[in-house]
Parts: sequence; structure tokens; C-alpha cells
Amino acid sequence: MVARVNYDEVEAGTELPPLTIPVTRGTLVQYAGASGDFNPIHWNEKFAKEVGLPDVIAHGMFTMASAVRVVTDWVGDPGALVEYGVRFTKPVVVPNDDKGALIEVSGKVAAKLDDAARTVRVDLTVTSAGQKVLGQSRAVVRLA
Amino acid sequence: MTDAEPAAGFYERIKAYEGQSAAVGGEGRDPVNSPMIRHWCEAMGHLLPVDGSAPPTMLQVWTMAGLSGHGDRSGPYDELLGALDAAGFDAVVATDCEQEYVRPLRPGDRIVFDAVIESVSPRKTTKLGIGHFITTRMDLRSGGEQVGTHRFRILKYAPAPRKAPGKRPRPVVNRDNAGFWNGVSRHELLIQRCTGCGTPRFPWLPGCNSCGGQAWDTVKASGSGTVYSYVVMHHPPFPAFEPPYAVALVELPEGVRMIANVTGVPYDKVRIGMPVELEFAVVDDELTLPVFRVREGV
Repeated sequence: MVARVNYDEVEAGTELPPLTIPVTRGTLVQYAGASGDFNPIHWNEKFAKEVGLPDVIAHGMFTMASAVRVVTDWVGDPGALVEYGVRFTKPVVVPNDDKGALIEVSGKVAAKLDDAARTVRVDLTVTSAGQKVLGQSRAVVRLA
Repeated sequence: MTDAEPAAGFYERIKAYEGQSAAVGGEGRDPVNSPMIRHWCEAMGHLLPVDGSAPPTMLQVWTMAGLSGHGDRSGPYDELLGALDAAGFDAVVATDCEQEYVRPLRPGDRIVFDAVIESVSPRKTTKLGIGHFITTRMDLRSGGEQVGTHRFRILKYAPAPRKAPGKRPRPVVNRDNAGFWNGVSRHELLIQRCTGCGTPRFPWLPGCNSCGGQAWDTVKASGSGTVYSYVVMHHPPFPAFEPPYAVALVELPEGVRMIANVTGVPYDKVRIGMPVELEFAVVDDELTLPVFRVREGV
């Protein structure tokens, strides 16, 4: 697959189409199986509350991987991701109801890094329930 | 926090783990494979990469131990965690993750990984409690070539004790303001008025700011008001209050302004000009306070 966003047509400040990601308990069970992370704080309400959490929380790595879809959906190629880092600032709390939680993601091109490698850095803003859930969320992606 | 402060030299002891291996030649339990890629894409709600490669963010998945737990972690990492546990830093939270993707992984790639304890921070005070940050870096290879790096930071901490909610501060009641608090106890908001010049005043004072007269009577507030200004308190925390919360300066039609809490909306929805209505909040057995509720339909 090849990135469909052209490096030459992107400027620092270019905003990416935002993304809203619904997360339910079902999503977390799927993710536990897909990732191999079976920590009970991500699916067992009783356990989560016993260790002082408000409720079941999403895997940090799930939130991280979900959020970067704002970049890979934009580029059209998941394989174009070169580097990606986040800080886990607040957990995404996922109640056991029909709605679960929503993760809101927006992204902006922060800098064009390398004209030869055609890489840009995208800074992400990731919130849930009005709280920033990932901080210093930065992805380096290779464009066409 | 912990039963005992960590002994002198504790940080030197845990810092000595920097540079030591957390895993050597660990092998992914399964080669990169299409079923796991499909499960991942379904969980993440995105399409399968058309070339069959794994999404880069799956990097760590190929190193996970699965249902049965870790087998190939080396001694130093467990020793370090054990030393922190023993010193009372027995809670853990993931704080950061950084990944580099050198090349796409395809079904059949066999992942081998080494991990090193990159850094152990000095003792830090955080919102969660006091603890140490530990950063590990995992290098992933396939067929002898580097395919990616996974850097992960955790905080090992002693959970800060939960403070019992404190009591709201008590008002200081004296001869100058007793009339006000007597009014509040009857669920009346009384405003002083100078009988000399007619100027209303609040809070209660012995004399008139306008003419200096010392004689006064009271006016009962009608109960309506408008948010004249407000602040949102974030810091410092106080035992009886849960920040953030809004404190408003409410203008009353009787000609005075008073400081009070605004109820009925979240702290971040309070706005200048909002019409509000007086009500009395019973805080506890001994304390009732006038507060202002945002009018319905605002």
C-alpha cells in the first residue's frame, strides 16, 4: 500500500480529519484477545474497583493504537507510520452500559521533517469525557 | 505513604539496574500471523492492510506472553520490581510508550527481542503518590535484522492515602455579623442597609462605607441574582472541596454583590450574566450556606 497524501501538498498546520472512536466493554474484550494483554483492570469491574480505579479502564495501548488511526486513515496506509509515542495522562473509563466511552482524536501537522524521506510529524489531541487521555502524542509518518 | 521511608542508599541500589537486561533473546510465542492481525483489525475497527502486513502498532503484540504469563523475563527486571515492592512502591501504572517501526511485519516473521532497563528515575512525587519511573527499551528483530523498538515507562509508586473529606470551614460569627447568620438559619438572606443614607452593604460591617453612619436595618433579599464574575478553583486543594469548582460573585437586585457557590451546572458551564436563584444548602448538622442555583432553561 502506498500513502495517498502527497508530501508536497502538506504544510505545517495542516489539520487532519478528526475521529470519534466508540469504546465498549466488548471492544476491550476483543482487544485483550488481539493484544494478549489480559490484565483484569481492563475487563473486571470488581477487580478494577478494588485497586482504586473508578471502573474498568481501556488498555493504554488500545487508546494509543486507536488514536493513531487519525493519521493512518488520513494517509491511507497503516504501514506508513515510522515512529509514534504517547504519554498516558488519564485512563479512558469504560462503563458497562450501551454507550461505553468515546475517544475524540484530532491531529495537526506540526512539522515537515525530511524532504528526502518525505516524513512529517503529526501532533495528536486525544480526549475522552472532556479530559486529555494521551499527552505528547506524536506520530512520524511517511507521505507519498 | 509507606511503613518506612526507603533506607539511605535505596536509589543508588535501584539505579544500579540501569543498563541491565530485562529480557535476552526472548522469542515471540507465535510467528506474525494472519489470524492475530485480523483479530487486531476487528478490535480496532479498521480494515485489514491489503498487503497482509501487520499494522505497525501491533509491534508489542508479537512479544506478549499470552494467557499463561511471562516465562522469559530475566532476573534483573523482576529483582528491580521486587525491590520497589519491598520498599512500599507496590502499585504500578504505565505512563509512556514510544515505538519506532523499521519495517512492516508480515506473516511468517519470527520475532526475537531483547529488553534493557534504560533508566530508573530518582524518587518523584506525583499525583498518584511517591515513586520511581522505570523505562525499558525493547528491540525487536526478525531474521537477524532490526524491525522495531518499543520503549515503555512505568511508575512504581506508593499510593497516596485517600484523605477523608474534611469539614467545610465554619464561619466566624461575632456581634457584627450574627444577624446575617441568624437570617441564614431561618433561610433568609439579609442585607444590611444604612438608615442614615439608605446604602445597602454586604458583607456585614459595623458602619456605612458611604456616610460612616452606624445605624442600620436589614432588607431580605428577593432571591434572584446574576453571575457578575466567577473563578474556577483548581489549586491548591482543600480537604472539604473537590477541585475544580466555581466560585461566583453574584449581583443581587438589592444593590450588593456576594461570593457564593453556583449549583445546578458543572464548574465549566458557569458564565457571566447567568440568572441564578438563591437557595440554602444544608452542608452538615451545624452549617447551612446560601448558594445560587442556575435558573432552569438557561
